[in-house]
Amino acid sequence: MTYKTTSSLTLSILLLGSGSALAQTELMLWHMEQPPHRVERVQELLDAFNAAHPDIVVTQEPQNWGEIYAKAPAALAAGNGPDLLFAIPDFAPILKEIGAVQDVGAFVGALDAKHDLLDSAVASYSYDNGVWAVPLYNMAMSLWYHKGAFEAAGLAVPKTWSEWQAATEKLTADGKYGIGLPASKGLYTDQVVYNFMVNNGASELYNADGTFAFDNPKTAESYAMAAALQKFSPPDSAGWFWGDAEACFASGTCASILQFTTITTYETQGGGDAAKLGVAPIPHADGESQHNTIAYANAVMLLSDDPAKRAAFETFISWLLEPANYGRFLNMEPGLFLPVTADGAKADSFWNDPLVQKYKPQIETMIANSANGMLFGFTNGRTFPSIAPISGQNVLSEVLQAVVIDGVDPAAAVAAGQVRMQDIAQ
Amino acid sequence: MERGFPKPRTKEAADPGVGGQGLRRRRLSERKLALLFVTPALGLLALTLLWPLVLAVDLSLRDVRFIGKPGEFVGLANYTDVLGEARFWQSGLRSLIWVAGNAVVQTALALAAALVLHQSFPGVRIARVWVLLTWIVPTVVVVIIWRWLLSNSGGMINPLLVQAGLLEAPVGFFSSRESAMTTLVLINSWRWFPFVTLMILAALTRIPGDLDEAARMDGAGAWQRFRRITWPLLQPTLSVLLVVGTLLSFNVFDIIWLTTAGGPSGGTQTLPVLIYETAFKGYELSRAAAISVLTGLALMGFAIAASRSMTREEGA
Repeated sequence: MTYKTTSSLTLSILLLGSGSALAQTELMLWHMEQPPHRVERVQELLDAFNAAHPDIVVTQEPQNWGEIYAKAPAALAAGNGPDLLFAIPDFAPILKEIGAVQDVGAFVGALDAKHDLLDSAVASYSYDNGVWAVPLYNMAMSLWYHKGAFEAAGLAVPKTWSEWQAATEKLTADGKYGIGLPASKGLYTDQVVYNFMVNNGASELYNADGTFAFDNPKTAESYAMAAALQKFSPPDSAGWFWGDAEACFASGTCASILQFTTITTYETQGGGDAAKLGVAPIPHADGESQHNTIAYANAVMLLSDDPAKRAAFETFISWLLEPANYGRFLNMEPGLFLPVTADGAKADSFWNDPLVQKYKPQIETMIANSANGMLFGFTNGRTFPSIAPISGQNVLSEVLQAVVIDGVDPAAAVAAGQVRMQDIAQ
Repeated sequence: MERGFPKPRTKEAADPGVGGQGLRRRRLSERKLALLFVTPALGLLALTLLWPLVLAVDLSLRDVRFIGKPGEFVGLANYTDVLGEARFWQSGLRSLIWVAGNAVVQTALALAAALVLHQSFPGVRIARVWVLLTWIVPTVVVVIIWRWLLSNSGGMINPLLVQAGLLEAPVGFFSSRESAMTTLVLINSWRWFPFVTLMILAALTRIPGDLDEAARMDGAGAWQRFRRITWPLLQPTLSVLLVVGTLLSFNVFDIIWLTTAGGPSGGTQTLPVLIYETAFKGYELSRAAAISVLTGLALMGFAIAASRSMTREEGA
């Protein structure tokens, strides 16, 4: 081989190599699953995907929920935003309002046809003639209880509000509390309060025309019930955040709590006896017949209008939702993240996790409860931009605080809450 | 032969006739040199402090809701809205209560600690270092520690108070507006009093020991010596601490947000918390900027008034 031929061959190989490198589509993923074990699991999945798809490179940058509301719009404005960004329903309207989010309706339709996506998960991202994110994992609240405490008191798991109130009252004795209900100003309290509303036919915050439907007798009744149960909570529950309720439950101080999951905390701090951990649908008002709950799907938004990136995004998400991969993704936090696809709910990759196997009955109940899930401001396809600041300023929990801490009559507090929502919307 | 130190060989010394002009010229060149030295620092300050301030004022005159979204010029509308809002004035009042509470508790704790640490006793050096520990612990850790100690689920404070007979039953320290504010002031004071202690301790070491000794020989008791000697001589330091401490306390956000998030029922929502909520929870950046500018002006006014007052006292 002559020098010229060798040089030409080498150059051709180099050009081919660089050509394939140039053809690679890079996707930057921002997510807010910050705990190290979750980041590690996401990286394992990305490595597997990138190895199987040499033309696409997905990289992750874990972010913080506390900062992302300010950081993402700023990064997008500066041209340094991610291509893919995880979201919860009330975050998506903010990015949509600044024109950063792409409609993924057609892609979600194709995924639905293949995997059967949970309707409520898609609904909370479907408005203004588009679907603004692909649902990835679901979270739904349930009533978690210590079976031993209920059995010792001779109580059955309550199904209605009157049974619930009687049970919590009976369980509150000797330094123990029947229930741990937060009354702080925060997302946890917002979500707990909404559980009372959806179980009393007061799920709508908005009317169809965008005016508020919050101020009604059913909402006031829901707040009255929440305040009545709050009396059987520990005295410090007016200042609770997420971890406080779980700590109360794990220590046995609280006989029951409303929470998305307690499995990890119960396993590590509460003894870990799966047979004694109860989970049930949230009791409904005496006049109602269905158990509902707050539920919402975390989803991924596409923030780039580049067709190549869209194609790469669709390839990546399609791969992630394949049952063989999806369970591993959900089990980055076993017992918390629930499947949004019908085939994912049956996937071996989901059920084979040791912790999921141990708490299988509880997780099956969680999945069943999530079927009747709703999220405030995202019901019936009616979503208005003001839900983001209303949720951000925790108006639902402000109203509960007015009732519980300031002693305001529930009807008056709800009326004032609607005025506050109107002010925010203006 | 001339004795003592030789006189400096300056131009004025060499030519007394032009001494006044020469001195002025030298002072002028010294000023220029000083200006030259501080120009980089001033430029840096302008870039990092003044420019953001200008941007904040500009933002407050517009209607921007989210970062990255343009806003129309609305003049003083945000200011009139904010000044007409009860939440702004309530938060302002809470900020004053917060500052006053912290000033009193921190000064009392620090003064007591400094007086003890000013004495000679075995282990005083270790104690002086030990007292700093609460100050160097990160805020997040402070919050976690105190929330845990005060919790009804395994916290130590409630059982101790019940066993001591001070409480009949466990209470929620963050369950009412008043108790939440009081508890937060105590936690923040616990965190910051070592800083004030150091300042007072430094001032105490500058008080001449012979004054105290003379008073003691004249038969003055401990309280009299403290009232007539120590306290008056600490005044300049305490005045400076009042200004610095007020500005620092006023701007505290992290410990309040992490502990109560401004609750319960707005009971600990000070102005910094209101600014954060308005900007990043209510998505009203321009309105938050208006509150920031008003707060900044109030603090600047306080600093100028306090500074003038101290200058007057020094002059007197």
